[in-house]
Amino acid sequence: DSNVQYERVGADVTMKCGSMDWDAAVTWTVNGTDIDESHLNGSYLILKNVELSQSGQYSCYEGSSWHLKYQTYLRVGTPPKEPVLMCRSNNYPKGFYCSWHLPTPTYIPNTFNISVIHGTKDMVCEKDAVPKNRCHIRYLQLFSTVKYKVTLTVTNPLGKNFTTLTFDEFAIVKPDPPESVVAKPVPNNPRRLEVSWQNPSSWPDPESFPLKFFLRYRPLILDQWQHVELSDGTSHTITDAYAGKEYIIQVAAKDNDIGTWSDWSVAVHATPWTEEPKHLTTEAQITETTSASTSSFMAPPTTKICDKGAVVGSGAVAVCWTAGLVMAAYSVLFI
Amino acid sequence: MAAADSPSTALRRRDLCSRGIRLAGKMRADVVDLLDIYVEQQGLDASASVAAVEGVPLAAVERWDEQTGTQRLLENLAAYRAFRALLAQMLEEQREQLGEADAGLGRALAAVLLQVSAFAYHLEELLRLESRGIPGEEGDGPPPPPRLSLFEQKLRGLGVLRELAQWAVRSARDLRQLAKPSPATGTAPGLAESP
Repeated sequence: DSNVQYERVGADVTMKCGSMDWDAAVTWTVNGTDIDESHLNGSYLILKNVELSQSGQYSCYEGSSWHLKYQTYLRVGTPPKEPVLMCRSNNYPKGFYCSWHLPTPTYIPNTFNISVIHGTKDMVCEKDAVPKNRCHIRYLQLFSTVKYKVTLTVTNPLGKNFTTLTFDEFAIVKPDPPESVVAKPVPNNPRRLEVSWQNPSSWPDPESFPLKFFLRYRPLILDQWQHVELSDGTSHTITDAYAGKEYIIQVAAKDNDIGTWSDWSVAVHATPWTEEPKHLTTEAQITETTSASTSSFMAPPTTKICDKGAVVGSGAVAVCWTAGLVMAAYSVLFI
Repeated sequence: MAAADSPSTALRRRDLCSRGIRLAGKMRADVVDLLDIYVEQQGLDASASVAAVEGVPLAAVERWDEQTGTQRLLENLAAYRAFRALLAQMLEEQREQLGEADAGLGRALAAVLLQVSAFAYHLEELLRLESRGIPGEEGDGPPPPPRLSLFEQKLRGLGVLRELAQWAVRSARDLRQLAKPSPATGTAPGLAESP
């Protein structure tokens, strides 16, 4: 008759052919293929140091009649290692979720059981349909100093393991990253970039539980980030961008009072506004070369001198003398 | 039946709430710093579990989002009055134990006590604004607790400060709820009389 047999990787497995005597003549097959007699000890099948690849359906047939005498499905696997458990509240103050996984696969079915205790009270963590290894719990109490204790037990036919997490209500609060981050150049402002974003949609009540934000930005060509912390509002204007350089910008969020910072948002790219290159009225007409930056364009020749406040794109030779000598200094930087 | 707020009342409430939120934020930051000093000076383990201590108002609350504005104010006021007495007691015990040897902790305790008193007063102002009677303080307060051992005093102090830190967070949230204008009448939610 058919059954399932679980064995550890590396184990020695002996299969008996049902009620057949040791000296009976039998044939063993695995997944329909005959097994060589060298693996037999009488009518017993001996598998030494089993490997994962030896999982399959094993059948034993009586020698002459070819009657099926025994069948089993062998599944080779491992007992579970200590599971990895994480709990987080990204929808404070509604509740929190816990998710888990095994550090290495067992190759056989595992059952997970989770228990949540708050003080002396048992709480039910409702399993999510998707993703599978996740459950969520609603807060029954807020502002409690009593810690939560979450125990995850994983069991399979070869063994059992567990892990425990203990935390307080505030410690696991971590919002999702801000959404819809947009960065735009500001017309006629070569050093500005306007960044705006939205609260993560999973955060249920930003009015009562406001988020604060952390913005980081750098030009693609540099490794060093600039940081700005913002205690309110969902927009910010960067005013010290290097002219003509493409920037990468990200935002993170945190509850104003408790918990930890979210992961960084999806990165957005933007380049500050640059004036269209112009021809200068000098004796030797200097033609603008197209800059190395992404926003290159050829402007029709004009007789105008550079406008006040304009900084020519990188790679250009011309320097605009305006009321601000500081502009010249910036231009030199980009040669 | 709810009486609509006068514009000046609504403005005053919003102003009191914003100031209260800032007070609560500062208080929490100072209590967290005080906790670090306290744990170190008293030779305690920061992660020690402290059982709920009698007389310490618990910040934990069920169905917080369903509370009325009045409930919030009254619960907060009762809590901070209790903390005022508890902190005063801690200060006294600390002076007895260490005399002037640990002026730093004493100063930090006194500073937090001052903020707690200020916050309690602030809450009374908010209640006055709602034309609510301010509950009287019970005579001389609860009867003095039984004399605790030095170690028990220290653990109790830890419990008091931890719970106060929770309250400071809760109070900021409570005041934000209070500051929310109600869409129809302009009264803050939950401050209307129930029918």
